[in-house]
Amino acid sequence: MVEAGRSPNIEILTLAEVESLSGKPGKFKAKVKIRPRYIDPDKCTACGQCMQYCPREAVDEYNERLDFTRAARIDFPQAVPTAYYIDEDRCLQLNHETCMICTNVCGPKAIDFNQEPEIRELEVGAVVLCPGFGNVPEEALTKYGYGIYPDVMTSLEIERLMCVSGPTEGEIIRPSDFSHPRKIAFLQCVGSRDVSCGRPFCSSVCCMYAMKEASMLKEHAPEAEIALFFMDVRTQGKGFDAAFERAVDKYGFRVIKARVPKVEQVDGRLALNYVTEEGTVHRELFDLVVLSVGLSAPEGAEELAKKFGIELNPFGFAKTEVKDPLTAKSGIYVAGAFHGPKDIPESVMQASGAAAKVSELLAEARGQDMVEKEFPPEDQELLEMPVRVGVFVCHCGVNIAGVVDVEAVRDYAKSLPGVVYAENVLYSCAQDSLEKLKEKIKEHKLNRLVIAACSPRTHEPLFQETLREAGLNLALVEMANIRDQCSWVHADDPEKATQKAKDQVRMAVAKARRLKPLELQKVKVTPSALVIGGGAAGMAAALSIADQGYEVHLVEKEAELGGHLRRVKFLAEGENPQKILKDLITRVEKHENIRVYKSASVENISGYVGNFTSTIKVKEGSKVINHGVVVVATGAKEHKPSGYLYGKNRKILTQLELEEKLSRGKRGLGKTRRVVMIQCAGSRGEELPHCSKLCCQQAVKNALRIKELSPETEVFIFYRDMRTYGFYEELYRKARNQGVIFLRYEPTQRPEVLKKGRGIVVRGYDALLGEEIEIPADLVVLSVGVAPDKENPIAQILKTPMTDEGFLMEAHVKLRPVEVAVDGVYICGLAHGPKPLEETLAQAKAAAGKAVIPLAKGFVEVPPIVSRVEEKKCIGCGICASLCPYNAIEMVKKEKRRKAQVIAAACKGCGVCGSHCPVFAITLGGFTDEAILEQIQAFGLPEAEESKEAELEKEAA
Amino acid sequence: MQFEPRILSFLCNWCCYAAADSAGVARFSYPPNNRVIRIMCTGRMDPQFVVEAFYVRADGVFVGG
Amino acid sequence: MAKKSGKVLVVGGGIAGIQTALDLAELGYYVYLVEKKATIGGVMAKLDKTFPTNDCSI
Repeated sequence: MVEAGRSPNIEILTLAEVESLSGKPGKFKAKVKIRPRYIDPDKCTACGQCMQYCPREAVDEYNERLDFTRAARIDFPQAVPTAYYIDEDRCLQLNHETCMICTNVCGPKAIDFNQEPEIRELEVGAVVLCPGFGNVPEEALTKYGYGIYPDVMTSLEIERLMCVSGPTEGEIIRPSDFSHPRKIAFLQCVGSRDVSCGRPFCSSVCCMYAMKEASMLKEHAPEAEIALFFMDVRTQGKGFDAAFERAVDKYGFRVIKARVPKVEQVDGRLALNYVTEEGTVHRELFDLVVLSVGLSAPEGAEELAKKFGIELNPFGFAKTEVKDPLTAKSGIYVAGAFHGPKDIPESVMQASGAAAKVSELLAEARGQDMVEKEFPPEDQELLEMPVRVGVFVCHCGVNIAGVVDVEAVRDYAKSLPGVVYAENVLYSCAQDSLEKLKEKIKEHKLNRLVIAACSPRTHEPLFQETLREAGLNLALVEMANIRDQCSWVHADDPEKATQKAKDQVRMAVAKARRLKPLELQKVKVTPSALVIGGGAAGMAAALSIADQGYEVHLVEKEAELGGHLRRVKFLAEGENPQKILKDLITRVEKHENIRVYKSASVENISGYVGNFTSTIKVKEGSKVINHGVVVVATGAKEHKPSGYLYGKNRKILTQLELEEKLSRGKRGLGKTRRVVMIQCAGSRGEELPHCSKLCCQQAVKNALRIKELSPETEVFIFYRDMRTYGFYEELYRKARNQGVIFLRYEPTQRPEVLKKGRGIVVRGYDALLGEEIEIPADLVVLSVGVAPDKENPIAQILKTPMTDEGFLMEAHVKLRPVEVAVDGVYICGLAHGPKPLEETLAQAKAAAGKAVIPLAKGFVEVPPIVSRVEEKKCIGCGICASLCPYNAIEMVKKEKRRKAQVIAAACKGCGVCGSHCPVFAITLGGFTDEAILEQIQAFGLPEAEESKEAELEKEAA
Repeated sequence: MQFEPRILSFLCNWCCYAAADSAGVARFSYPPNNRVIRIMCTGRMDPQFVVEAFYVRADGVFVGG
Repeated sequence: MAKKSGKVLVVGGGIAGIQTALDLAELGYYVYLVEKKATIGGVMAKLDKTFPTNDCSI
């Protein structure tokens, strides 16, 4: 979020709405109406005076209406832009022309009531729609007593209630009597999978967030008892099943498979009546009921669709096709929940994918309207002067100043050696403070800076940039973390917190005095990509990169392109997968930017982001190619279960084998009168630990196909949870309506496949009857799941980590879903985890988008924290090269001697080399031995002084 | 007087330092006896750092990574 | 044909919109990020923690 606020190429228009769009792809004209904030964000320092003095209350929408705020406000402290605004519906001045208090208290004179709405005409080449999701209809909530009984709350309200910055500062209390709830119930599928309120689809995210909220509630209130009511547990995402099981185990939640019809209030508590599977009626009292509210299409979706000329699906979400999941129409793309209910990783993936789509369309215009940030040359005179440290102690509003005596810290800083200037700042990260910082650097000729504020992990880049703007080298700033690791954690002891802040400042100053300018290195990038795997994911990624204007080498181990998709004959969405496949293959083989290597394998990959060299083994021998990035789309395989008589009887098939039969039409089905399908035949703990995500929709899709070809054929499906998430829920409903019989089983009572006489029977437990049943079957179809390549040679070559299940591990589950720990390597498709075709194609686009970033830049910027070898000292022992976890040190011959050399682009600055070098030949940028030792010595200083004083006192006595 | 140890912590930027930040974000509270030096990885730890810390009278050294 | 524009309009400042804007900026385009509310962040900014890693969402 903060990053978006700082990018010179992102202009954020708030309180803004698009009025109309005209033109054509590549050249649209958009009219945007911007409502006034009444507070100039460039002048506002986010000090909060206006809000403090504003007499007019307003309901706090950010806190889900659980709290009050003011007409002059900021929605939350970390908001971007970090500026206050005035709510024109509530403000006294704007509505009654009286008040103006804020104008008088505002120091920087940022308030301007004369602002008018503004219309801006923007010329753009493409549009990406990410309006998110909307609310479920009122009646879906009131049905459960929401709005009638105060202790029925929505999941988002609970989210705010649990938050330390929320209305109760994280204390969990019942709204009715402010007591701590002891028994809490979560009701799932509120406004989801509910035809009565026009929301027949599954919202795909509620099962996960309910488990998260329940876990957090338990952390806040360990004594609370929590029950969760599910229809099906749909934690089909990567790693989610395991997380769910862990949470249930750890916190002892009750997971009840029942849909609660309504909530009643009895003596100040809430009564739930529900029927469990075996038909028993229960009545139970709870103190608090949480409604897991689903996601609907965004408000105003229809209007939006009209403005942009796109189509919506029957549920009001954007209509797209599987083959091109992010395109609403040419030049207009969608990402996020507007495409259908989805979680954060999916949304982030789609966002990167949509960016790739835009980049394909506008490849020729790349860079043309970009703003390059320019920095003044470094002030050599200032750099060469003796060390002059400036210390800036931040109040962070009350975040620091409320605990730490910041004035005392400032005065103490002034007394430290080398410090020539010290002052307090209200918010050091505010735009105006940064401007002042630059002025102070010039005025007092400061050449080392210490910022005593928050964490360098979040804010160091900001200050480094400010230094560059002031003509100083970026490495000459050191931060003392007196917020996250001081005022926030020692709020109960202001005196000791102040002491700690002083110590940290003293240590930072000591280090700052030793800081040396460092060079920001740039490494050139080879503008081509290696894509490994010629299945749907690999081909889609290759096409996107090629369409964005870069050369692609596509390697496929089989003799034919297509991978897994070759065996898929129908899609749940109704489109023809074979046609999609054919189109992909034709386009890939014809594309002038793509070189295809079939029956080939990647033997070796060396190098680092921007400069990889790979050896590809082809029939004729091997080939060496240079490329800047790697996309791994090595896929996965169909799991072959060891049980269920699979492979021992021709009546027992996998879903893909059934599809092959069904693709031959009624003929393929023959005289099959009864089909029994078994879900999770391998997945979710039997032979594969994970959920394979796509089998439920695959089974329902094939069941419907059977019914279509032969309506009289009976279909039974044994399942654990039907995970037909999102719009796949429609198929599930349709299947039930058409007479497909669904039988739920517990993992302790898995169905068995037995030979009986000349036939086959499936024996399972029917929860409703409460007894074991045997179903004779003409065909048994196993939903076998997706198995990873346990020994993925590519992962081994690239040294990229894998999950416990054997899939490739992403760099960050939520925010970096197609990147891995190694820079310049991207992943997509089944190699990342099981997923249906539509998600695979979207992810492939995302990987292509991310992969093109370094190619488009043409260089990789290396942070200056990398290590450096002093060649004179180096004795060529090679210890560092053998220890480096990133292969970032190579041994080279220089004037006939072996010397270590750092590959800057691959170095992460961990420092292993430096601490092991026997001759101290390696220094770490920004973390030199001298600087750290100085810091350690500064840590000891006051103690030494005290003891000196004590000794003096002793002597005096 | 109660003994108040002074502990010098070396925290890895990617895990322990990040965790210490998160503790703050979550407003956890812990005794104010530690002082922190951020390093990019505990691989950077040179034995002389520990020796130096005790030499300047640290009561304890914490290496987190 | 008229020359294509190198600017892109992103409608909605939630997590999807922000990510799209960031990637586009990195890919060499100028982005207008249009948000209805006074701040970007969308619903994700309201979440205390995220499943399953319980990371802070801001």
